[in-house]
Amino acid sequence: MGLILLSAVSALVLLGVAQRVLDRMQLSDRAALLIAAALFVGGLIPDIRVGQVTVNLGGAIVPLGVCVWLLVKTDTRKEAVRAMVGSVLTAGAIFALGRLLPDEPEKMAVDPQYLYGLAGGLIAYLLGRSRRAAFICGVLGVLLADTASALLTWRQGIRQTLALGGAGALDAVVLSGVIAVLLSEFLGELLERLSRGPDPSKARLERREK
Amino acid sequence: MMRRFVPILMLFLLLAFPARADEADDGSVYEILDASGAAVTLFAGVPEAGDEYISGDNAHYRITRVEEAKKRAYADFLGAFSLPDIPWEEDDALPVSQAKHAVALYCTHSDESYEPTDGKSSISRRGGIYDVAEALKKHLEEKGITVYYSDENHFPHDAGAYRRSRSTAASLKEEGVDAMFDVHRDGIPDAAQYESEVNGKGVTKVRLLVGRSNQNADANRQFAAQIKAVADRRYPGLVKDIYIGKGTYNQDLMAQAVLLEFGTHKSDKSEVLSSTAYMADVLARALYGGVTGAAGDGGAARENTGGWKGVAWVLGLLVAGMFVYSLLATGSGKGALAKWKGNFREMTGGLFGGRGGRK
Repeated sequence: MGLILLSAVSALVLLGVAQRVLDRMQLSDRAALLIAAALFVGGLIPDIRVGQVTVNLGGAIVPLGVCVWLLVKTDTRKEAVRAMVGSVLTAGAIFALGRLLPDEPEKMAVDPQYLYGLAGGLIAYLLGRSRRAAFICGVLGVLLADTASALLTWRQGIRQTLALGGAGALDAVVLSGVIAVLLSEFLGELLERLSRGPDPSKARLERREK
Repeated sequence: MMRRFVPILMLFLLLAFPARADEADDGSVYEILDASGAAVTLFAGVPEAGDEYISGDNAHYRITRVEEAKKRAYADFLGAFSLPDIPWEEDDALPVSQAKHAVALYCTHSDESYEPTDGKSSISRRGGIYDVAEALKKHLEEKGITVYYSDENHFPHDAGAYRRSRSTAASLKEEGVDAMFDVHRDGIPDAAQYESEVNGKGVTKVRLLVGRSNQNADANRQFAAQIKAVADRRYPGLVKDIYIGKGTYNQDLMAQAVLLEFGTHKSDKSEVLSSTAYMADVLARALYGGVTGAAGDGGAARENTGGWKGVAWVLGLLVAGMFVYSLLATGSGKGALAKWKGNFREMTGGLFGGRGGRK
């Protein structure tokens, strides 16, 4: 699914559909395609292991790097703080989802890895209607929630690897970031359209035809 | 500021509410009945309309209605399920191939254990399920198959377990395996449902579980049917049935991925371990044919074509999704088409899509 979503996003970029989203994230088409390629290629490189933690280049380092870039490029300090607060809230929501949702996939209405991005996108949109913050919330939310879960497991004396972005481009980290941006854009587009009413140029055309 | 946090608080409550309702279902077992009310099978989970079931004697059902209060689901009989022909199954005499034949094994639910022999049905540090996976590994290796096995712990047994095991499955896949098996045990409280005999020996049956919510669903299902076909011919009574349920189970990572339920938590583990030897033979034959090791260049490892259907579906959904987005962005079908045309023109440097440039 992650790979399909990544291909879909690349196709959207190529077709120019994602132009506005990228503009709002202060990314050029070329940068977006390079990031998609880095996620894919980085995911194929073996994980880096440090003790009980493994880190995947495409699944964690590249998305984390994009988050840092987006945080640096925020217009105001307030927006950066909001993105960080949103990330912690998203991590909380993801952690809660993990504990509260049923334990078997067949018992779940929606696969939780899609819910993570939806939570990130929704929280980011509510906090500041920001597509940049949405990506940051989606990515950092999953990484923080994974870390919290591993810390709790280690405290119980259970040996477990904390795999950050272990599935590369197919990981929930990437999936969540992309879904969060798409949701935030979709919500933004929908709500802005509802508040704006019909397209003014179209209305002008209709008036002229009358 | 507070006004903004109120919706977030509501979001948390919204996310938690349905989950709490479902939590009460944990450990529940549903009875699946046919149209006449006769029992078809038991399912430790929550079935959903659209799930399919192929019984031990290959009767094919589709769930049409679920009564949560009574823990019952009703299924329509679709007819006899025709298992695929496995021509490579008997290819014992084929020359040994140099190609590496490899499979992957891991356990998503690290705590799963067998009450009568392990003492508890769930052991957080290392459940009895690892003994089953290791026995299966040993028997597969005896067949000349390279087994990439991960004993990584994915505890706790919660909604995040499959996400944690996804990293494990993804790294195992990187080894270039032909198939991937997630080893589990079932949660049906009646051990008799899984008791069987193969070659006069007491064994537990194995349920094959495949998800229907991913692009590989058809391929996964085809692979499960191939496994059952081999098992039914060689060791009747070993494979209990196939359940095709909602969920992904990380089977989107590979066309040939199946979840294996070895017995139930009430089963005797020694009987479960006995079934691993027969199951290893079935998996080896379904994948490669032959018994002497890396024999045969045919087999399910090369025959499964279900993945392409999934790709076609995804492409269709992608085009539909892009059109809906363009429609939303421009407000009209005409505008959406114009936007597409403009983008296409720009992409092809004005070669296609008419004259003019993107504004």
